[in-house]
Amino acid sequence: MPRLVAAGAAPSHRSAVRSYDRRRFLSGLAGAGSLTLLPGRAWAEADEVRFGLTPVFLSSDLELLAQLRDYLSTALERPVSLVMRRTYQEITALLLSGQLDAAWICGYPFIQYRARLSLLAVPVWRGKPLYQSYLIVDQGRTAADILDLRGDIHAYSDPDSNSGYLVTQAALAEEGEESVAFFRKSFFTYSHRNVVRAVASGLAESGSVDGYVWEVMSEIEPALTGRTRVLRKSEWLGFPPVACAKGLAETPVAAAISAALTTMGDDPLGRAALDMLRLDGFAPGAPALFDGIAQKYDLVRSLG
Amino acid sequence: MSRLLRRLRAWPITVKVPLMVVALMVAVSAVLSNQVLQRLAETQQRHLEELTGAYLDGLSASVVPHVLREDIWEIFDQLDRTRHGYVGVRAVHTLVASVQHRVLAASDPRLYPTQQAVPAALAGRFQDGVALVQDETAGRAFIRRALSYQDRPLGWIYAEIDIQSQLAERREVLLALVLTNAALTLLFAGCGYLVVRRMIRPIDTLAEHLHRGRDGRIEAIPQSKFGARHGEFGRLFRRYNALVRALDQKEALAARLAEEEKLASLGRLASGMAHEINNPLGGMFTAIDTIERHDDDPAVRRSSLGLLKRGLIGIRDVVRATLVTYKSGAADRALRPSDLDDLRVLVRQETARRGLTLGWYNALPPDLELPAGPIRQAALNLLLNACAASPNNGPVEFCAEVAEDALVIVVADRGPGLPEDVAAILQSDGRDGAPPAEGRGLGAWMVSHLVFGLDGQVRASPRERGGTRIEIRIPLAAKGVLRDVA
Repeated sequence: MPRLVAAGAAPSHRSAVRSYDRRRFLSGLAGAGSLTLLPGRAWAEADEVRFGLTPVFLSSDLELLAQLRDYLSTALERPVSLVMRRTYQEITALLLSGQLDAAWICGYPFIQYRARLSLLAVPVWRGKPLYQSYLIVDQGRTAADILDLRGDIHAYSDPDSNSGYLVTQAALAEEGEESVAFFRKSFFTYSHRNVVRAVASGLAESGSVDGYVWEVMSEIEPALTGRTRVLRKSEWLGFPPVACAKGLAETPVAAAISAALTTMGDDPLGRAALDMLRLDGFAPGAPALFDGIAQKYDLVRSLG
Repeated sequence: MSRLLRRLRAWPITVKVPLMVVALMVAVSAVLSNQVLQRLAETQQRHLEELTGAYLDGLSASVVPHVLREDIWEIFDQLDRTRHGYVGVRAVHTLVASVQHRVLAASDPRLYPTQQAVPAALAGRFQDGVALVQDETAGRAFIRRALSYQDRPLGWIYAEIDIQSQLAERREVLLALVLTNAALTLLFAGCGYLVVRRMIRPIDTLAEHLHRGRDGRIEAIPQSKFGARHGEFGRLFRRYNALVRALDQKEALAARLAEEEKLASLGRLASGMAHEINNPLGGMFTAIDTIERHDDDPAVRRSSLGLLKRGLIGIRDVVRATLVTYKSGAADRALRPSDLDDLRVLVRQETARRGLTLGWYNALPPDLELPAGPIRQAALNLLLNACAASPNNGPVEFCAEVAEDALVIVVADRGPGLPEDVAAILQSDGRDGAPPAEGRGLGAWMVSHLVFGLDGQVRASPRERGGTRIEIRIPLAAKGVLRDVA
């Protein structure tokens, strides 16, 4: 189990981030030989750090994005561009192709591309770098088990989401069911919040959603989550991590981003962003955190 | 219906004119209100079509790509986001359906579940390709738009729009129209009433004076009531007053003529009585002389006494007839046969003087429920007139009987015939209220007036071979009391 709380190590990382400058960054980058790996990036000409975000959290909150960008810009002493796309796949592709310096992705693509990605930090929620996947249904529905959802119109979050897709696929596989036949119809909303909206409105009869998102929404939008009921919670799984392309893992920018994230709670701007995210902070994390996801991935792949 | 119309016609003009103003205003305001509301409804319909058209244009453009992919979440998301995003269009429900009218996604999926057929209650509203249907009872408009891509049909958009605000606006306009029109109608009706009341006030004055005239108290309209009024009513009032003055003069003249006639009748009566008394008096004096001279001759004395007695009886008859005719209280007494027989005595002097033959037939029952006075007066007048009209030594006939529940008295002569104007007066049934102005036909007027007072009729007709026949017919159920004996 990795050390989860990064706050204790913050001062040293923080000083490292502060002392980081462009010359050292470029020399380090050149020393790592990254330029050959990242044909799309001309580091010598770019001051900006490009940070990818998936709709893993409440991506529509512009104030949160502004807080996050301000903090990262301050911590990295460079302009930061937050890059958002509609799907996980797009962000993963950008990350793998070197068009992003780092991205907050989901555990599922991290496992899918674990050979090509390096872990920079893992969010800590309620004291642990873990979260759950929720299977939600309408508040008034009497279903007691996942098998009661047979014939539903089901809402997934994203085909590359662990909590919003993989966990349910694996649960059905464990029950010997195939999702295509099990559900009457399924669709993707490309946002955990939208899964909650779909189930709450009645568009979908059940949905697969990130437990962390559902819990945060229940504080922010209780009227919406109040129209849904959690039918099933998965086991605790590795929280969606911040990762970078393997080729950039040893670069100063990766180290700086990792340091900036793990010391986020020490800075007022960072603390404010964390508060909005309802997170305790970020920890360095370890790939073993995502073993549970890897097992589910293997299970689903094994069934075809 | 006709009874109601008669009643309406009987209403005073001060009520009828304001009511007509009210009816006119109500009719005009109803037509205008209908026009305004119709135009408003058309305008609202046009605006609604334009607004909903723009709404559906925007919605169609945004959902077509998602319909192509059958991405029900994105369709739902678009419908959900645009539900309140259009100014002027309050979409209650929207749904996108496939070409086969199966719901892909709706803004309220619980009402319109995905993959279910569009309910007939919604789809059935659009008959014959109509794109917009209003349900004013529910306060809703329903619209439908076909979705297409590259000229290929993709599906349908249905929307239920809240049009309560438009209907409320229409109701407010209607209320404002009704209230305004009601206020104006009342105002005009009130003004109409006052104006008409003021306009016809002179007619009221005139009507009041004419009404008084029915009671015999016809009066001129005082100058103070029309003052310096000019125009139609001023002229009318002045003409009325001139008429009243003329009538007053005519009445005064008639009264004077009647008085003169009365005096003349009295003179004739006195003359007749004097003659009737004088005739036996000569014989009586002769009888007295005979008695004085032949006092010792019982036969002469008896003969003279008999002469005296007959003379006195004649005088007594004349006096009795006069008393019966003119004594007070006789007017209202029931008619007896002797009341008419007495008339023979009263005209005897005239018949004797002219050598007339008086044919007399009196078949009345003992008591008739008719007043004796006016009937005797009328019969006497006719007899005197007949005597006056008859040539010397001519016949005068009198007949009285009860026939067909009426008293019938006929007086006939062989005179030259009744002048037309006098005949007209005689047969006027008393309708001509005033006596003739020039004294001519006064007796005829009196007979007509007396008979009319008993609900009777007078008919004058010429006789074959010359002369006049005058018939009085008085129903036995006639009024018992003479109203006006002039």
